[in-house]
Amino acid sequence: MFACIYIPNASGDTAAALLNCASAFSPRVEKTSAGTVVFDVEGLERLLGSYPEIAAKVAEQARAAGLHANVAVAANAEAAICAARGFGGISILNRGTEAARLRDLPLTVLSPPPEILETLERWGIRTLGAFATLPAVQVSERLGQEGVKLHKLAHGTGVRPLVPHADAMRFVEVMELDYDITTIEPLTFIFSRMLDGICARMRSRNLATHEVRLALGGYARVLNLPLPVRNPRLLTKLLILDLEAHPPGAPIRRVELEAIPAKPRTVQNGLFVPLSPEPEKLELTLARLKAVVGEENVGAPEVLDTHRPDALKVQTFGIVGKERLHVVAGFSPRSLSLRLLRPSLEATVQIQNHIPTWIAFHGVHGPISTASGPWHTSGDWWRPNMWDREEWDIEVADALYRIYYDVHLDRWYAQGVYD
Amino acid sequence: MQSVILRARLESALGERIPSPFTDLDRRVFESVPTGIAPLDALMGGLPRGAITEIFGPRSSGRTSAMVSILTEAAASGEVCALVDGNDAFDPKSASEAGLELQRLLWVRCRKLDQVLKSTDLLLHGGGFGRVVMDLTDFPLSNVRSIPLASWFRFQRTIEKTPTVLLVMSSESVVKSAAALVLRMEMRCAEWSTILNGMNSNIEVLRSRRGKIGRGKIQVRLVNSLFCTSKKGNSLV
Repeated sequence: MFACIYIPNASGDTAAALLNCASAFSPRVEKTSAGTVVFDVEGLERLLGSYPEIAAKVAEQARAAGLHANVAVAANAEAAICAARGFGGISILNRGTEAARLRDLPLTVLSPPPEILETLERWGIRTLGAFATLPAVQVSERLGQEGVKLHKLAHGTGVRPLVPHADAMRFVEVMELDYDITTIEPLTFIFSRMLDGICARMRSRNLATHEVRLALGGYARVLNLPLPVRNPRLLTKLLILDLEAHPPGAPIRRVELEAIPAKPRTVQNGLFVPLSPEPEKLELTLARLKAVVGEENVGAPEVLDTHRPDALKVQTFGIVGKERLHVVAGFSPRSLSLRLLRPSLEATVQIQNHIPTWIAFHGVHGPISTASGPWHTSGDWWRPNMWDREEWDIEVADALYRIYYDVHLDRWYAQGVYD
Repeated sequence: MQSVILRARLESALGERIPSPFTDLDRRVFESVPTGIAPLDALMGGLPRGAITEIFGPRSSGRTSAMVSILTEAAASGEVCALVDGNDAFDPKSASEAGLELQRLLWVRCRKLDQVLKSTDLLLHGGGFGRVVMDLTDFPLSNVRSIPLASWFRFQRTIEKTPTVLLVMSSESVVKSAAALVLRMEMRCAEWSTILNGMNSNIEVLRSRRGKIGRGKIQVRLVNSLFCTSKKGNSLV
């Protein structure tokens, strides 16, 4: 059985109140139009009594919300809608009596398209009963599928599933402060309290968040998480660390927190899974590391696809799967590695027969016992940050270095040490 | 006789909380992980988990190559590693060409010693990293020596019941008795043809508390794969 609440000429606020009123009785509520809601009342008899009693309680609920509404209960949603739109007060349509009860109602309760309504009026059809007596085949020939659908509704036999209204869930907490806050530390308690509430609500709906939006008056921050979490302590610490790295420029009078909901992470752990940090703990560790060394200095290195020396970027670190990742082909497990001097150190080099024979830079000086080179490398000549250099490998005082001559600057630099 | 009575009283007082207070704990079975340097693994059995390993030596002794080899082995087995780079000297390109999966490496670029210590502390307490490398090689020795011994023991206590290997790299031995394994590296000779082909290094085991042997020495050859693949047209003097 279905119940319908109808208010003619409903506004936006009234529509919201109607939804709330219907939601008090059933989780399956359809918002059919601005002033019409239909909901499933099947199974409520044990709780609220017979269907007339249920209808009376719905009307009472609407009245308590300040709404003067028509309430109808019928075996199908369409019949309930027609009855609520056509009859004032409370009406109950028992199963099988829909057609008889609806027969005197005007066609407008079906909300037909204007052209069909005009056609029917020209035919002299003004009530549902008159429309229902027309043969279905001829209605189909003259009015098409829309006419057939309306014809079924006029019989009170329309069968369709409800389309429940789903409210966009928002997890927001706002706190107006009595006095200004000028330091970060007191915010810990405020965030903790607000996030406790938000996370409890998310937990009750089996949700988590991957994005937390913080507004401190006019100052806004967004905390993006690589995986959904709903641990209020973790979120509080992450927000505090983020604010310590990016402090607001003005005293705080109002705190607004919104968590964007997401499905929680589900992980099937295995006995033989390789060691890796717990994602939640890793996020906290990364945030703390960023507070120590700076945001740009923590992450996974990525070599850029260019021949430019030391071309790399530090990308966000995250746990990657167990599968083997891309590895440069032909690697040697015992390769000689280079330690870079960042930035390259300017060197004084003596040359004989175009070959460097003596060098001095930052605590290293002496004759070059072996030198191999030069290898010319250049690129991006069309850009201001072009490079053009001649590289050498040298051995000085029992250590191996890579040095280069910058052709444009006409200077020598020590780039790194083989180690 | 009194000691026997005292012992019995203590045992009854402690009751169910501590069933055998005077029984020695079973000796733990320590797991080792490979370094990727076969002669060293054959000699040592690998690096001990839950302990500090120290590698030290002068410039061009092969310390960084050994570190990259250790990280490569760990990453290849699916473990996550962290490198606390004391002087921002790590070269991802040469590490990548040595086979290291860079996506499994958390790189923390530091400039100051206190940043290195704090970052290492955070990583060890965060847990879950198979190898944590603390690179102190480019700091002045006076600064590195000023790290209190208590810090090393604190690190050691932090990881002792975890599978993490803390690898400390420096120019001279600084971890002292907190290290379970100490390796000294030095360059024997560089191999030059028309290019720098590589170098031979000595690795000397100075201390191994959990390995097969206490001391030993091996030689390894490090190949300059960077140059073999990328350089053309060269000369040797």
